Amino acid sequence: MESIKDDAIHNTAMKLAEELKNLSIYKSIYSDVQKLVSSPNVNKEDFKQSLQQAMKEKGLDTKLRNTVFHWVRTQGKQSKLDPLTSLSKASLQWEKRIHKSLNSMCSDLETSLAKIRSQSEQEELTEKWNELSTYSLDLSKYRPVYAPKDFLDVLLTLSGYVPFTREDEPKWEFSHLPLQVKNLEQLRKIYVEWCNGEPLLGVNPNMPSTVPGFATLEAERIGLGERVSALGYAPVIQEFLKKGSPQCLRARLWSQVLGAEVKQQQIAYFNQLQKSVLEVDLMIDKLIFKDVQLTASNDDQYFVFEDLLYQVMLCFSRDGEVLSRARSTALTVPVRGRNERTAFPPSGVVPFHGFTMYATPFCYLYDDPVQLYYIFRAFYIRYWHRLHYISTHPQGIVSLCLLYERLLEAHEPLLWIHFRNININPIRVVFKWIMRAFSGHLPPDQLLLLWDSILGYDCLEILPLLAVAILSFRKENIFQVNTLQNVDAVLADLSTISVVPLLQLALMKS
Amino acid sequence: MDKGRVTYCTDLEKSVIITNFERRGWIQVGSEEEWNFYWSFTQNCRNIFSIESGYRMNDNQIINHFPNHYELSRKDLLVKNIKRYRKELEREGNPLAEKKEVTLANGQTVTRYIHLDFIPVTYVLPADYNMFVEEYRKSPQSTWIMKPCGKSQGAGIFLINKLSKLKKWSREAKTPLHPQLGSKESYVISRYIDNPLLIGGKKFDLRLYVLITSFRPLKAYLFQHGFCRFCTVKYDTSVTELDNMYVHLTNVSVQKHGGDYNSLHGGKMSIQNFRLYLEGTRGRSVTDKLFADMQWLIVHSLKAVAPVMANDRHCFECYGYDIIIDNALKPWLVEVNASPSLQSTTHSDRILKYKLIDNIVSVVVPPGGIPDARWNKIPTPEALGDFDVLIDEELMEKEDSAPRNSKSNRCKP
Repeated sequence: MESIKDDAIHNTAMKLAEELKNLSIYKSIYSDVQKLVSSPNVNKEDFKQSLQQAMKEKGLDTKLRNTVFHWVRTQGKQSKLDPLTSLSKASLQWEKRIHKSLNSMCSDLETSLAKIRSQSEQEELTEKWNELSTYSLDLSKYRPVYAPKDFLDVLLTLSGYVPFTREDEPKWEFSHLPLQVKNLEQLRKIYVEWCNGEPLLGVNPNMPSTVPGFATLEAERIGLGERVSALGYAPVIQEFLKKGSPQCLRARLWSQVLGAEVKQQQIAYFNQLQKSVLEVDLMIDKLIFKDVQLTASNDDQYFVFEDLLYQVMLCFSRDGEVLSRARSTALTVPVRGRNERTAFPPSGVVPFHGFTMYATPFCYLYDDPVQLYYIFRAFYIRYWHRLHYISTHPQGIVSLCLLYERLLEAHEPLLWIHFRNININPIRVVFKWIMRAFSGHLPPDQLLLLWDSILGYDCLEILPLLAVAILSFRKENIFQVNTLQNVDAVLADLSTISVVPLLQLALMKS
Repeated sequence: MDKGRVTYCTDLEKSVIITNFERRGWIQVGSEEEWNFYWSFTQNCRNIFSIESGYRMNDNQIINHFPNHYELSRKDLLVKNIKRYRKELEREGNPLAEKKEVTLANGQTVTRYIHLDFIPVTYVLPADYNMFVEEYRKSPQSTWIMKPCGKSQGAGIFLINKLSKLKKWSREAKTPLHPQLGSKESYVISRYIDNPLLIGGKKFDLRLYVLITSFRPLKAYLFQHGFCRFCTVKYDTSVTELDNMYVHLTNVSVQKHGGDYNSLHGGKMSIQNFRLYLEGTRGRSVTDKLFADMQWLIVHSLKAVAPVMANDRHCFECYGYDIIIDNALKPWLVEVNASPSLQSTTHSDRILKYKLIDNIVSVVVPPGGIPDARWNKIPTPEALGDFDVLIDEELMEKEDSAPRNSKSNRCKP
C-alpha cells in the first residue's frame, strides 16, 4: 500500500520535473542549484539532506514551490473543446467579425495593417517614448472597433436563444443557456471569511485589532502582510489577500501571488516588445492611442498616468506570449516594407472601447512601466481575457452574466419584476461594470480592494455579485424611474460605494 | 432682526455661494442692509474695518476675512513673519528653533532650521537685494523664481538663472533693484524647488483649504478634500524650457491657456488619490510623515502670523495653501491665498467647492444657526463635516488642566 503511494508521488514528481524543464524560469533555477551544490553548504556525504537544507536557507525552496504553484494554476486552461459547440461557433464568428471590421477600417483609411516605420518616424517615436502624449497622430478617423454594448448585443443573440415574436415579451435572459452557475449559498461556501463576518480591510481600518500587540485592524494587517511577503510563499499570500491588503504592501503581494516579479530576463523581454513597437507600425497602435485618449486621458483619476499607459498598452499588443497563454486567435498579415508576415496583432487582442481600463488601476501601485506591464499582463492572462471572449468557462463573461441574472431574480425579485415591467434587460445596466471589472467606475481605492478579493479567491464571481449588491443598495431610486436612460443615471456615480461592506452584507446570512 | 431669519450679503455672485446660503433658508440683502453673514471681497472687508467707514458690527454679524489677512497672504509679509517667528523662538531657546548644518547637492554647507525649514530661501526685492546677491553668489548655478508680492494666479512670475537676467529685467521694467532708490511694487525672489516630486513625469502642487476661526487662541481646521494641480507639459529643467511657464507653474489660470488643457479633469487629482498613489508606490511611513509634515507646516505658518493678526471675533477666513513637494517628499510652503478660487472647473471641483462652503458655514455658525460673535467657537464633531481639527489652543489648554477628558478633541496627532 505504502509503496503504491510512494510510486504515485514519485511519478508525479517525475512528471512535474519534466514540465518544469519547459518553463523559462528553469534555466535560472537550475544554475542556482548548481551553484549551491558547489558551495560548502552542501556536502557529498549527506548530499540530499544538506542540499535540501541549503535550498531552504537560500530561498530556492520557496522559489521552487512557487514555480510549481504557478504552473499548476496555468494547467487545465488549455481546456478541451468548449462543450457547447454553439458557443464556440459564436465565438469564432465574433472574432471573425472583429477581424473583418479591422480590415475594412484599414481599407477605408487606405492604410496597411502592418508596415515598417520610416527612419524618421522611428527616431521621433524613440525620442518621445516617455511622453507619448506629445506624439502627434491624426486619430480623428479612428473609432474603437467595438464597445461593451456591441459585445453584449452579440452575447444576447447566442444560439439557443429563440427570438420572441410577441411584442410584450422582453427579449432577454441568459437562462436558456445550459450552463451551471453557483447560487448564493454556493458562493458563501467560497467566500467563507466574508460570509462569517470576519474583520476585513475596507470596512473600517481603525477598527480595534483582535490580535494582541496591534492597535487597529490596519496595523495588524500591515504587520501580518509584511511577514507573509517576506516569506514569499505564493499560496500563503493568496490566502492573506482574501481579507484585503494594505495599500502599502499591495504592489509587492500582487506581484508575488501572480509570479509577476521583474528580473533581468523580464526587462530584456520588455525591451524586445518596445523595439518591435518602434520598428513596425501596426494599425492597432492607432486604436490603442485612441483608447487611452478616450478613457484614461479624460479621467481625473488616471490622466496623470497617460504616458505610462501608452507604453504598456503598445508593448502588450506585441506580446506573443499573451496569444499563446490567453487562448486568443490572431490574423496573419504581411508587413509592408519587409518580406515577412506577422500575427496581427501579435498578442491576438483587439482592444475594445475601454480596454485600457484593465491596466489603469495598477498605476496606483507601480510607477515603473516594466513592473506595471507584467502585473497587467498577469492579470489579463489569468482573468481579464475571460471578460471579453465568448466561452462556457465558469469564469467567462457568459457565465458571469447568467450568474448576475440568477442572483438578481432570486434575491431581488421586486427589482427583477420592475425591470420586466419597464421592459429593460437588467444586464444592460451593469454589463459595462462587469466587462471592465468595475475599472473606471469605482474610485481606485475601492477598486483595488475588489481586485484583492479576485486574487485572494482566484475567481471573478465577485463581479456579478457586486453588481447585484449595488442595484439592491440603490433599488428605491430604481423603482422611481422607468427608462433605461434614467436607470443609468441612478447608477452612473459609484464614487460613494463602499465595496467591502456592501459585499459582506450580501454574503452574510441575514 | 427677524427672529430665526438669517440674512446674507455676498460680493461674489457665484452659484456655489448662493445655492449654499439659500438651501439654509438665508435671505440675500445688500451690503448697506442688515446682514448677518457677509461673503466679501478682501478690499470690502478692509473698508468695513477701516476707521473712516465708521461701521460697527453687531454681535450677530460675521464676515469671511480678517482685516489684515495680508500678513499671511502677501508673499513678502508671510516670509517676514515666518523669519520673525523663528528668530523669536530662537531667542527664547525653544527647541523648535534648533538648527543644524546641511550639505547641499552642490557641496555647499548651510545652516538650516531642523523643524521650521518649510519655506524656500526667500528675499524681498528691492529691500533685500544685497542679501540676495550674497546668497546667489554662494551657488550661482541655481535657479530662482521671481513673484510680484501683490499679484496672484501666477501673474508676473518668471524664473531666472543668471544675475544679468535680473538686472536686464530691472532695466526694462523700470523697477529699481536697489533699496535706496525705492519702488512702488515689491517682489519676492525664492530659491526655485528644482527637484519637485513628479507623478507620471509631471510636476504638480497641492492646494489645501484651511479654515481659521480665531488666531488667539489659534483655532484651525483642515479640509479633507484638497487636490493636486498638474502641469500639462512634462517637467524639464533645461535652460530652453526655463521660459515655458506651462512646465513650471501649476496654477489653473496659467495652465488653462496651454494647448493641452483638459476641461474634464482640469489637471486636478484628488488628495485622496494622491495619498493612495504615494502609499502604493513609496510605502506607508513616508506617506504618513509627509502628511504630518504638511500639517506641521500649516500650523507653524499660522502661529507665525498669529501675534500680528487683528483677531476680531466677527471674522473667520478660509485660506488656500499652496504646497510643493520635492522628490525627497519634503513639503514646501509656496504661498497662502486669502480668497481661494471658488470657480469650478470640473464636475468634481463643483462638488468639492459646494461642500467646502457648506462645511465652512457649519463650522463658523453656532449650533442655533444664527451667526454670533460671542459664541465660544467650539463646533460639535458633527458640525465639522469634512474638516479635521488642525489645532485648537483653547481645547488644548482645557485638556492640559483636565488631562483625563481628552475625547472631545478630534485633533490628529
